[in-house]
Amino acid sequence: MDHLADASNQNSQPQTQISHLALDIGGSLIKLVYFCRYSDSCRDDYDDDELRSQNDSLCSKRGNSRPVLEGRLHFAKFETSKINDCLEFLRSMKLRIGGFHESTAPLSDKIFIKATGGGAYKFADLFKEKLGVSLDKEDEMECLVTGSNFLLKAVHQEAFTYLDSQKEFVQIDPNDLYPYLLVNIGSGVSMIKVDGDGKFERVSGTSLGGGTFWGLGRLLTKCKNFDELLELSHQGNNRVVDMLVGDIYGGTDYAKFGLSSTTIASSFGKAISDNKELDDYQPEDVSRSLLRMISNNIGQISYLNALRFGLKRIFFAGFFIRGHAYTMDTISVAVNFWSKGEAKAMFLRHEGFLGALGAFMSYEKQCLDGLIVHKMQQKFPISVSSAGDKIYCSQNSNSDENASIECTVYGT
Amino acid sequence: MAGLSGDPNLGVGDKIERLQYNNNSSNVAVDKEGLEGIGEESNSNNKNNQGGEKDMAGNSIHRSGSRPQLDLSKAEIQGNSEERHPAILLPNQSDDISHLALDIGGSLIKLVYFSRHEDQAVEDKRKKTVKERLGILNGNRRSYPVLGGRLHFVKFETSKLNECLDFISSKQLHCGRIDSHHWNSEAPANENAVIKATGGGAYKFADLFKERLGVSIEKEDEMDCLVAGANFLLKAIRHEAFTHMEGRKEFVQIDHNDMFPYLLVNVGSGISIIKVDGDGKFQRVSGTNVGGGTYWGLGRLLTKCNSFDELLELSQRGDNSTIDMLVGDIYGGMDYSKIGLSASTIASSFGKAISDKKELEDYRPEDISLSLLRMISYNIGQISYLNALQFGLKRIFFGGFFIRGHAYTMDTISFAVQFWSKGEAQAMFLRHEGFLGALGAFMSYQKHGLDDLLVHHLVERFPMGAPYTGGRIHGPPLGDLNEKISWMEKFVQKGTEITAPVPMAPPGTTGLGGFEVPSSKGATLRSDASALNVGVLHLVPTLEVFPLLTNPKMYEPNTIDLSDHKELEYWFTVLSEHLPDLVDKAVASEGGTDDAKRRGDAFARAFSAHLARLMEEPAAYGKLGLANLLELREECLREFQFHDAYRSIKQRENEASLAVLPDLLLELDHMDEEARLLTLIEGVLAANIFDWGSRACVDLYHKGTIIEIYRMSRNKMQRPWRVDDFDLFKERMLGSDGKKPEPHKRVLLFVDNSGADVVLGMLPLAREFLRRGTEVVLVANSLPALNDVTAMELPDIVAEAAKYTAL
Repeated sequence: MDHLADASNQNSQPQTQISHLALDIGGSLIKLVYFCRYSDSCRDDYDDDELRSQNDSLCSKRGNSRPVLEGRLHFAKFETSKINDCLEFLRSMKLRIGGFHESTAPLSDKIFIKATGGGAYKFADLFKEKLGVSLDKEDEMECLVTGSNFLLKAVHQEAFTYLDSQKEFVQIDPNDLYPYLLVNIGSGVSMIKVDGDGKFERVSGTSLGGGTFWGLGRLLTKCKNFDELLELSHQGNNRVVDMLVGDIYGGTDYAKFGLSSTTIASSFGKAISDNKELDDYQPEDVSRSLLRMISNNIGQISYLNALRFGLKRIFFAGFFIRGHAYTMDTISVAVNFWSKGEAKAMFLRHEGFLGALGAFMSYEKQCLDGLIVHKMQQKFPISVSSAGDKIYCSQNSNSDENASIECTVYGT
Repeated sequence: MAGLSGDPNLGVGDKIERLQYNNNSSNVAVDKEGLEGIGEESNSNNKNNQGGEKDMAGNSIHRSGSRPQLDLSKAEIQGNSEERHPAILLPNQSDDISHLALDIGGSLIKLVYFSRHEDQAVEDKRKKTVKERLGILNGNRRSYPVLGGRLHFVKFETSKLNECLDFISSKQLHCGRIDSHHWNSEAPANENAVIKATGGGAYKFADLFKERLGVSIEKEDEMDCLVAGANFLLKAIRHEAFTHMEGRKEFVQIDHNDMFPYLLVNVGSGISIIKVDGDGKFQRVSGTNVGGGTYWGLGRLLTKCNSFDELLELSQRGDNSTIDMLVGDIYGGMDYSKIGLSASTIASSFGKAISDKKELEDYRPEDISLSLLRMISYNIGQISYLNALQFGLKRIFFGGFFIRGHAYTMDTISFAVQFWSKGEAQAMFLRHEGFLGALGAFMSYQKHGLDDLLVHHLVERFPMGAPYTGGRIHGPPLGDLNEKISWMEKFVQKGTEITAPVPMAPPGTTGLGGFEVPSSKGATLRSDASALNVGVLHLVPTLEVFPLLTNPKMYEPNTIDLSDHKELEYWFTVLSEHLPDLVDKAVASEGGTDDAKRRGDAFARAFSAHLARLMEEPAAYGKLGLANLLELREECLREFQFHDAYRSIKQRENEASLAVLPDLLLELDHMDEEARLLTLIEGVLAANIFDWGSRACVDLYHKGTIIEIYRMSRNKMQRPWRVDDFDLFKERMLGSDGKKPEPHKRVLLFVDNSGADVVLGMLPLAREFLRRGTEVVLVANSLPALNDVTAMELPDIVAEAAKYTAL
């Protein structure tokens, strides 16, 4: 089910109606969330009578007092360095951004798009120039928190734990959600203590994040993209590169302090050897070592911050994770190890879109007063790869991060 | 006068004869009882020794290797014990224990070793002559052991292990003898010695040590050693800890009673974070695998640097903004002020390297190194702070080889701690950062019978090589004096720039060349703006602040703090100008021979180099005060075996003063009691201007005779003086209302300079007290300093003076 591919390949179909698009323009990636109404061709793609009737009934309950739109929230992403592809995509979508009322007016300079992330500042002029739209900047942390709160409360089976390759969904009680620690791993890492809707504090962060993995990884392995690098790590063995406790203690554990011989004593510590150069190391091993270094570090710092505020739940999100099993495993192990099992690492299926979702939610303040999500179903992982390399998307079949969400939007 | 206690197991019972000027033994710090006490301690220490052995014997092969050292008479006990019971060790077992400890890490080998004062032999000789001359006072002599010795710190690269082995074997450090300088004449190396070692290499290289040196390595736990080393340094060394913020270094005085708990972060290949609650009480609470090994490992892969130091040096010319993604990069040059992130904050380390347009070769190695350094230092600071927070610790000490006194590293770590703690917690660094483990291993000998080193005050002194090695702690001071002098002569001084020496390789050995040439490509003295020198630690008898001081807490021997740069410049000028004169005197004191001249030149060079180094980096040797500077000069003189540069001058002055003493005494005896008392005190004050340390005095000497100057100066001593308790003193001495007070029981007179000061100032006062039936104890320096009178010279003077008075 290729909404986006359809859209971008078939520019001639004007019936694709998107309203309420929001952007999160980060250092490495641009994340998009947009709402697509059922009443248009999008809806027709679905052949789900049951769902439709549900929606209808919901609508009827609400009555006609105000406009109700039903449809889906769609998620997409682009590399920030290929921002032109994103602009092209937006143009091709013939966005009706201002159009909560079914306006078919062309884009005009009065149109605002909600946007967050550093790029909302950096690229504001570009959007103005290329698309004639103004970016309405929303605070990044606020968006992250709003997005995260929304997902945790509204979406069934959003959060899960991942330990020993076992994925387990966690039922979140919306009434017992706060406080929690939100760790957003983008290019860098932000750690936010969330106490409620709009109540939060950025308590910490680290510069060792996704950008470090990808940046160092590129320099060390010549990989062409993030996912390739991640893929490599699957086949790697970090023992070749890392100095393990056993390497120092002649193969034995340092039992006195609970360090097993396979514990990493020093990441890349074996690379100090005079006998080997960069070319002598397998890219797979380097990638694996990097991934463990960064994941472990994030897990540790997150736990220490959770501990500081007595938080038991830590949610990890952001594009670094990408539903990648080994990454989640490493983070979970780190949290588990340092907290001695007290704290739990949890992940979000829409991990990469918190900010964009949050920005999207911020429309509420102006023209939406409710985004009701009912029986959220992530039905269709969007595979947009067919649009060439332009649109960046994971092909990992495990990843359903891009699943669209069925929802209803109530206007004023 | 200090309480002295020996350390018999060190075998450095530096028997110094000390003289005492009255018959009452109880007023001397160490009396017979004290000596016997030490003897007993020595026995009990050996019992401890057995205990230590007991633990080891069961499972240590190395230990059994040391058995043949046992005395034959006890052989039978030993035979049985091999199987079931631990051996009973002999009282002299401690001699088998080498006074060398190692920390063999993944990248560096750190050595700590103990040596006896090298001027030992000479002192002994001179003491003997004093003794002979003072035969009459023999009955009053007391001898007691003084622990005199030095702790040396040396490091080698682990990859150059052979150099380390050569060094150890050339100094015979492994065979347990302290006075290494006479080793050639002694029996061959002890084949059965045991060396304490920690670090992973203690396991890895144990066989090699056995094979090459015939010594067994006894492994000590790494964390135990780190903590023991850190506690020792923090307690025993005055200016060990310092903060480093924005390029500024500030020494921190650690209150020994309020030291615990603290967080110790050892940044080695990996990082251990240890909460220390007391001696031997600690817990490894955390750690991280992103450490020094990561910096060096990744750095090597990314930059092709050949050494850690090279990589570190590169970072100093780097600009991380070409590689790191900064907040400004994301926010179009703006701050993210809402959450307190400035535009220059690193949002993502290496985040810019994701660009498609650039490959590894397109980035400058300098930038990569800096980016790596910031990433890792910052991360260490953050994780450390979070752990400190967890346990409510305010002080975080960072040690380990990663830091290396590198300014930027320390700044980054400090910044991280400061930033995250909002100024609540403080990052502190240790000057001996790299030697925690080795020191700890060294301390662990104590478990086997050594006295607690902590009771001795340690004085840190800097051998002549210090200025040349910058902050790098490199190889050993050279073997003997001659080598030292030749080494000095190889320096070529070009203006203020001192070029590195040609490393010397004495025939027959390899790599024993003493100092490694600083690895920087430029031959200039230093490159890192924050290099720290680590000196040799001298163990001297405990120095306690004199308890009767009006305000002991405020007492600071350094009356002049040289942290003010103008003050520093002034004193450097004074000392530099005074230097040629001093060299002349020193050479004269040794008879003016060619050898003395050669040594004099070497001394001048070494001391000038020290001065130049300190001008550049005043805190290089710890906090700098005038007293430290003067001490440095004395030490430097001693290093070139000028034991008493002012000896002949002092003698001359003493003789001159003694010649006029009878006149002075006569004059005094004609005064009434009250006038005499005032004149005596005025005399004490006046005579103190006879100090060769003051230029004014040197000028005076050329103008008149001693007694004239003395009288002239005495007349100038008009009351009130700056500190003037004379009225109180007079009342105590003479009483009021016609009532005669009890005389003082005992008086301690601290004497300063030779010549007029002691003879015309102090001795008449001493005489006055003696007349009243008060015991008088004269207190003087034990080691010469300029024209200060030494304890050793006093008996001569007093004996001479005694001829002029009935008392």
